[in-house]
Amino acid sequence: MKIFSIPVLMAVVLIMTVVAPCSASQMTPYQIMKKSEDLLDQAKDSKSDMTMILINKKGNKRVRELISYGKNLDNGVKKTLLIFKAPADVKGTSFLSWSFPGREDKQWLYLPALARVRQISSASKGESFMGTEFSYYDMGRHHLDDYTYKLLREEKVGEQMCYVIEATPKEKKYYSKVISWIRKDNFIPARMDFYDKSGRLLKRNMIKKIENIDGINTPMYMEMHNVQTERTTIIKLANVHYNIGLPERFFTERYMKRGR
Amino acid sequence: MIRLHEGSKASIIFVLICKLLMPAAYAFNYEGFTFNGHIESRGIKTLNSGTPKEDMSYELELDSERDIGSWGKFRLALKAVDDGKVINPTHNGVFDTFNRVYQDRDQYINVDEAYIDIYTNSADFRLGIQKFAWGRLDEINPTDNLNTQDLTEFVFPEQNVRKIGAPAFKADIYSDLFNTEIAWIPRYIPYRLPTPEERWFPPILKPPTIVHSSTGDIPVISHYEDADLPAFKLSNSEIGIRISKYIKGWDASISYFSGYDPTPLIIGTTDITVELLDPSSFKTQIRTDAYVKPSLHRMQVFGFDFTNTIGKFTLRGECAYYAGKYYSRKTEDIMREETTKEKQKEIMDKFMKDYIESGMKDTRQVFHTNPDVEVKKNSMKYGLGVDYIRGDTTLSVQWIQEYIFDYDKSRPVYLNKKGVDTTFTLSLKQLYLQDTLEIGLDGMYGVEFRQYLIKPHITYSFTDNLKGTIEARILQGRDTDSAIGQFRDNDEIFARMKYSF
Repeated sequence: MKIFSIPVLMAVVLIMTVVAPCSASQMTPYQIMKKSEDLLDQAKDSKSDMTMILINKKGNKRVRELISYGKNLDNGVKKTLLIFKAPADVKGTSFLSWSFPGREDKQWLYLPALARVRQISSASKGESFMGTEFSYYDMGRHHLDDYTYKLLREEKVGEQMCYVIEATPKEKKYYSKVISWIRKDNFIPARMDFYDKSGRLLKRNMIKKIENIDGINTPMYMEMHNVQTERTTIIKLANVHYNIGLPERFFTERYMKRGR
Repeated sequence: MIRLHEGSKASIIFVLICKLLMPAAYAFNYEGFTFNGHIESRGIKTLNSGTPKEDMSYELELDSERDIGSWGKFRLALKAVDDGKVINPTHNGVFDTFNRVYQDRDQYINVDEAYIDIYTNSADFRLGIQKFAWGRLDEINPTDNLNTQDLTEFVFPEQNVRKIGAPAFKADIYSDLFNTEIAWIPRYIPYRLPTPEERWFPPILKPPTIVHSSTGDIPVISHYEDADLPAFKLSNSEIGIRISKYIKGWDASISYFSGYDPTPLIIGTTDITVELLDPSSFKTQIRTDAYVKPSLHRMQVFGFDFTNTIGKFTLRGECAYYAGKYYSRKTEDIMREETTKEKQKEIMDKFMKDYIESGMKDTRQVFHTNPDVEVKKNSMKYGLGVDYIRGDTTLSVQWIQEYIFDYDKSRPVYLNKKGVDTTFTLSLKQLYLQDTLEIGLDGMYGVEFRQYLIKPHITYSFTDNLKGTIEARILQGRDTDSAIGQFRDNDEIFARMKYSF
């Protein structure tokens, strides 16, 4: 069973298929990405506190705090629940995503001001999530086989030698490609470049801090910079817990409204 | 806060509190309680002279929550308001009460919600003052009848803000088959209306000031009374049940409600006073006193609603069948019935008879009439909505229609034409500058009455906590007895500054 640990981390660890073996390691790009996912994904479910810092091109900051829950089911369905804690005017807003292998995701948004849960078209998943540089798609969870892969080269990010792997979506809905720099020492992504549908570089995600929690290397700090708008969103994680036994009913309208 | 009602000093204190708290406000925790809320000031500029004006309003909301272990939660949401809409406050007391349609106080504390939640494995329970939200449409929900609404500012505040929390018990029972929500409101809480001299009192609820009769114009003096609430007994309580299921991408529900119609209705009785001014010429003076008060009726509602996404669109639908719903008959039609030559002759004959029998002493007599001002019908209300999100643009369009069965054209009712009332709504929202600037347009068009409401608005977030909004409210309608057309002189510009913490 494949279990993603932290949904947003998984979202940016895009998933891939074999095209050619890597000469250096004798691992295919698919195997590299799969290992990366497996290592990040050793837990059955997860919970973490997340802080999002939105920075515009003038340097002005806005802060959002939320709780993130994730769970994978035996049938391959991946579920995510995000609940906003701050700022006050969005407190209680929650976002639920069910990602199905091979078909459209289902997504819901609960806005306390309306007191109603709304289904959101997953075709809108490419849109910004609550003003951040992460899209609804990024905030959801994805399947390895939605992409094909190519190992481009090996190069350093900072001090770390990485595999550079290009992932091309089989269906070009949100990005034309994603290039990932996967660290050779721990298979954690160090950098990811997202290209828009016209092939231009759109966003760059840098993972700057990793902590080992319950034996799982967990990215704790990432910075997504939109090179087209010059806006940045920083995501910081805290209080990460794995295998806490979240029941499936947690990922329903009931818990969206409960907000805890 | 407790002494807010004590005269003008309270107003000054309230304003000072708001202004002093403004720069210092922040969310905080105490003894396990989390406190959030907002402070806001808001006001309007009227665009047409001769319409009632309003002063600035100030509002402090405190929303506190405390988890009770992992099995429950306590929540208390209070609003303290210095309400600039109220022109002649007459009621004392600190809190908004649950027994008045006309609250009529300019400084008050409103208990928006106050409840305790209890969570179990397969059911959640909520006990206390609470709001319900049924249905899938926006703002107009035919199946959502458990809470009444505060209509003192027409329909401009958001629907959930307009709703009046009702002391109630709710159980949500979850199973693999379906989820069931059961709501019980032991005592009906009436809707709230502004007083007749205020800006948003519905003109169609006002009796005419003059009745034109065959014998001349008769002046009418209106007296507004509060509602006679149903007695506090089990048979007068309200109940709702809603069964929901997610099936193959569809969120769908069926629902049933038995309780009081939340739509404002007015009934009236009249006292016709005939006074003999000059016995020699038999010159008389006639005047009418109309006593109007909110009318409350039970009804049953059978509903269903659904939503799903289809490609890039979200589809939402809702339908309700109202069994035994009352409608207000048109005043002019009632007046025509009440001022026929036969009825006038009947009154004058009775006056003469009593005058003579009293030895020509009884020169002033009052005749009480109880006109038939309502009709009871079965009807349906249904609608469809479509949402589309692209980039920072959100577009939502709805079509909503009400249909009255066995409509009697000879007894027309308000807010409906020949048994049909069709409304289209539009909501367009565009975000800029990383969601800090929102420009939007909300609109509503009534087909049969050719009436519309347009609300262009702009909101800017100065910080994560401080937002400013400016909104134009344009109302127009061919008929002055239609829902929007009755307010066609009430165009205004609304402005609000809100600090959330």
